[in-house]
Amino acid sequence: MLDLAKSRWHPIAAAHDLPLRHVFHGQLLGREFAVWRADDGYVNIWENRCLHRGVRLSIGINDGRELKCQYHGWRYSNRTAGCTYIPAHPADAPARTITNRTFAAVERYGLVWSAEEPQGEVPEVSGFAEGKLLALRAIPVNAPADVVAAQLTGYRFQPSGNIDGSAAKVAVEASNAFSVALRSSEGDASTLAVLFVQPVDSNRSVIRGVLDSEVEGAARLAVLRHHNELLSRLRVAVEAEAAREPAPAPLEPIIERVSPELAEMPEETTHGRKATIRVQVTRKWSAADGIAGFELRPLKGLLPTFQPGAHIDVHLPNGLIRQYSITNGPGESDSYVIGVKLERDSKGGSTCLHETVREGDVLAISEPRNNFPLRRDAIQTLFIAGGIGITPLLAMAQALNNQSLGHELHYFAQNQAQLAFPEKTKTLGASLKPHLGLSPDQTGAKLREILSGYGPDKHVYLCGPGPMLEAARAIAAEMGWPETAVHFEYFKNTNVIDDSTSFEVALARSCMTLTVPAGKTILEVMRDAGIDMPSSCEQGACGTCLATVIEGEPDHQDVYLNDAERKSGTKIMTCVSRAKSARLVLDL
Amino acid sequence: MTETRCKDQVILDLWHPLAALSEVPAGVVVGTILLEERLSLACDGTGKVAVWRSRRDLPVDGPVDISAVAGTLPVKLAYGYVWTSLGNPPADIFPIPEYAEADRRKLNAATFGVNVSAPRAIENFLDMGHFPYVHTDILGAEPHTEVKEYDVEISVDRDEILATRCRFFQPMASTTSDGGADVDYIYRVPHPYCSVLYKSSPMDETRLDVIAVFLQPVDQEHVRAHMLLCVLDEDNEDKVIKRFQQTIFGQDKPILENQFPKRLPLDPRAETPIRADKSAIAYRRWLSQKGVTYGVIPAAT
Amino acid sequence: MITLYDYELSGNCYKLRLLMGMLGVEWKTVPVDFYPGREHKSDWFLKINPLGQLPVIDDDGLILRDAQAILVYLASKYDASGTWYPRDNPALLGEISQWLAFADGITGTASAARLHDALFYDFDVEAARAGAHRLFRILDEHLWFGEQEGRNWICSAAQPTIADIACFPYIMLSEEGGIPRQDYPAIRRWCDRLKRIKGFAVMSGVFPAGPAKAA
Repeated sequence: MLDLAKSRWHPIAAAHDLPLRHVFHGQLLGREFAVWRADDGYVNIWENRCLHRGVRLSIGINDGRELKCQYHGWRYSNRTAGCTYIPAHPADAPARTITNRTFAAVERYGLVWSAEEPQGEVPEVSGFAEGKLLALRAIPVNAPADVVAAQLTGYRFQPSGNIDGSAAKVAVEASNAFSVALRSSEGDASTLAVLFVQPVDSNRSVIRGVLDSEVEGAARLAVLRHHNELLSRLRVAVEAEAAREPAPAPLEPIIERVSPELAEMPEETTHGRKATIRVQVTRKWSAADGIAGFELRPLKGLLPTFQPGAHIDVHLPNGLIRQYSITNGPGESDSYVIGVKLERDSKGGSTCLHETVREGDVLAISEPRNNFPLRRDAIQTLFIAGGIGITPLLAMAQALNNQSLGHELHYFAQNQAQLAFPEKTKTLGASLKPHLGLSPDQTGAKLREILSGYGPDKHVYLCGPGPMLEAARAIAAEMGWPETAVHFEYFKNTNVIDDSTSFEVALARSCMTLTVPAGKTILEVMRDAGIDMPSSCEQGACGTCLATVIEGEPDHQDVYLNDAERKSGTKIMTCVSRAKSARLVLDL
Repeated sequence: MTETRCKDQVILDLWHPLAALSEVPAGVVVGTILLEERLSLACDGTGKVAVWRSRRDLPVDGPVDISAVAGTLPVKLAYGYVWTSLGNPPADIFPIPEYAEADRRKLNAATFGVNVSAPRAIENFLDMGHFPYVHTDILGAEPHTEVKEYDVEISVDRDEILATRCRFFQPMASTTSDGGADVDYIYRVPHPYCSVLYKSSPMDETRLDVIAVFLQPVDQEHVRAHMLLCVLDEDNEDKVIKRFQQTIFGQDKPILENQFPKRLPLDPRAETPIRADKSAIAYRRWLSQKGVTYGVIPAAT
Repeated sequence: MITLYDYELSGNCYKLRLLMGMLGVEWKTVPVDFYPGREHKSDWFLKINPLGQLPVIDDDGLILRDAQAILVYLASKYDASGTWYPRDNPALLGEISQWLAFADGITGTASAARLHDALFYDFDVEAARAGAHRLFRILDEHLWFGEQEGRNWICSAAQPTIADIACFPYIMLSEEGGIPRQDYPAIRRWCDRLKRIKGFAVMSGVFPAGPAKAA
């Protein structure tokens, strides 16, 4: 019977069990759940186990957007249950596949329903009108569900309209192994009670009762107490009966194994330039002068977990592929919001999004990829955004704000009307520092002011137009900021790419030697040879197609690596950079 | 002779701790449980100790003359504890040379019962990443959460795991400065259920304090954790030193008791390791290689 | 200044640390090696408390024992708001006393089970656990109906009282005695609320709550 029960929907909590910022400890058929409602109302039902070391997540912290494990502070996103941050490795973006097991959640009849392997819908109860019901106090019983359900057919109670009476007739309208529907009538008063029996474990159950009508005022409490008292009394009898039988062994739910890549402490998994997700533009609006906001919702299922700093590839109707940063705050996982600036010299990307793409259109996007990860172990973090460079930094600032970690967001723009996403920046309060209408010289002076006073445990993140980034990086270096504390992301690579050289590339792990001719990139030659290499912007800006150099001298033409990384000669962006030596050996 | 319930010969052949010698009253039977078997022990007040499988004629709390007890189990006294074995134990218990240094304070911080398997407790003892979250403002503090790269080796000649170059940020790292700083740690696992930790001494920067945890497996999912302190401290009373360690252990306890499953899974795909868990990964592999089955969920073969 | 004779892992001592923290009262600690040293049975300690029990306070020469009694004293003397132990409200004082006695029941069951499991006390642990579950069922029901009536705390008051403080520690530590709280969702919510009171501090075995949603 319990095998059959796996495919059924069962109530596992009452709606009132899930106040905001609380984690409910649930269980169904032996499997424990951590159940929590995010501030946006979404009900998360997760396996009650952090994937890292098996600690119960029901002792973790619900911060409204994410659930934080009590043991090592790993953070898991609302909705997707994907891990967004591993504090032990603050410089890394966690492999996005670290995702807790989630279970279906439906709120109905004042109860929260779930199932191990749901088939069909939550049971329909005729005579139940949503919003007009009364959920009773749940009664946990130390007895098997079928024993409880059998006893419940004999449950006798007064209809809500005649609670003080004593002559009610009670008829069983329906019953099965996990629920009993009873109608109690006396005089004009009649109440339908459906008592669902949640099979918690082989020898533990919870009676979750719902009445067909809400009761107002003081009578409401009287009705609730009436049932609480009677059901508690029934519990005494059921438990006494169950205690006569030897207790069955507790159920042992199967814990799924994690994927082999996760078990191996993987490098970032490789993905080509694939658009695996279809989204609909559910909202398009003017996020600022010249900047369009797009809200993208999945056509089906959930969007993958994103981290602050991550971007997606957007495949446009005109065939172009463009990268846009996700601006969402933590836990805002029902859609991705991107900002697109109309470029004066647009080659068709931003023009297409501004002029052609409309609400309701469907676009293909890639999974989010994070090559601009945010450390959260700084005492103070500075964000310096120029214009549309706000987008990744906005996501980062919201993440730090949510964890009450010290930060300032310096936002340079021509005027107030150009400040994008005011509804998001407003939530940052005093940490948002707009700098408007500054000349290049004034901008330099302001950057000097912001970047003065470097100290250990300070980090700065830069995103904006090339000249501003160059200036900010130079000033930071001058003011004593080490390169390891300066993080940046260019919109695009404005270097003129010299692809006139020809050289050999040896792939050490693949045991292949390839020739890269003039006019072709390393990435293209590898793809032609059947090597699956992830890439995104393909112009040396985003950092996705990074490879490790074992031997040979790279000819760097990207804007992703910092100077120290370039000098070390151990990394190369395969989409634009080439070789100065006749041969490069890559760790691929 | 009772047949033992533990079938794991590797574990049966080990020395296991039973009690701090200083806490065993002379001439009185003390009861305890090891590997699901009831054992009794007693000392005579002159440093002689006997351990035997519990018998009706020698009830717990009753008087006993240990020289008259027949059929006793092997006994060793080491690091202030009484050790025994239910199998064929090696000649010696793993070394802790620092224990012989005369100027160290040597204390049993406490023996606590914990509802968890011994290997889970060892793994927690080896872990630094939890300091800011579980030992907040004592052994770590947000936002200083990084576990920096460290080295792990399985020493073949000593048959033990050694993690070196471990560092972690500790607020109020020393008695001489107010600020936080990185503190150095070395971890050893010389026994499947025992671990020894070396840590920068706040009193003497050239030497290391030694803290060890010796786990007595009551059954597969329950332990008695014996905590040895072997530290440099000339100022504090015993009870102040013990209180600190009990506070730390008391903070780990609810984490350990909320881990599921309670036995340590050795299947590499049971949980998700990160680089910071290198020592735990080595420990799990080492247990697998030894063929340990007690207190663990062996990997499917 | 108040001197607290204290053992870190004692829930009864924690009650006083909690209330003094919430009241903003300063104190100094004299550690007592309750375990394994049994210092509470030592000669010097028996002179302070012949019952040989923790906690004890010494407030400028006034020596008091018994956690619940000391809560009454501290709240009466140091709570300027008068909400923790409202001296001018007889009905509420009656309620508080009733739940202080209930807290003693929790100590006698949940704490006993914990002493058995963690410190090897020779108690009937099954009886202790069953007793704790019986009390937790009563408290969960009480708190659930409280929520339905718009009441957040154990007693009929808008603010928490010392009854909440007295019941909290050994409920939070119950799992160390093999007593899960999964069947008591209203108790779990009340624990979150209590952890969010200004001045709340943890003890070993108790984790903090995250921030409440800003209004």
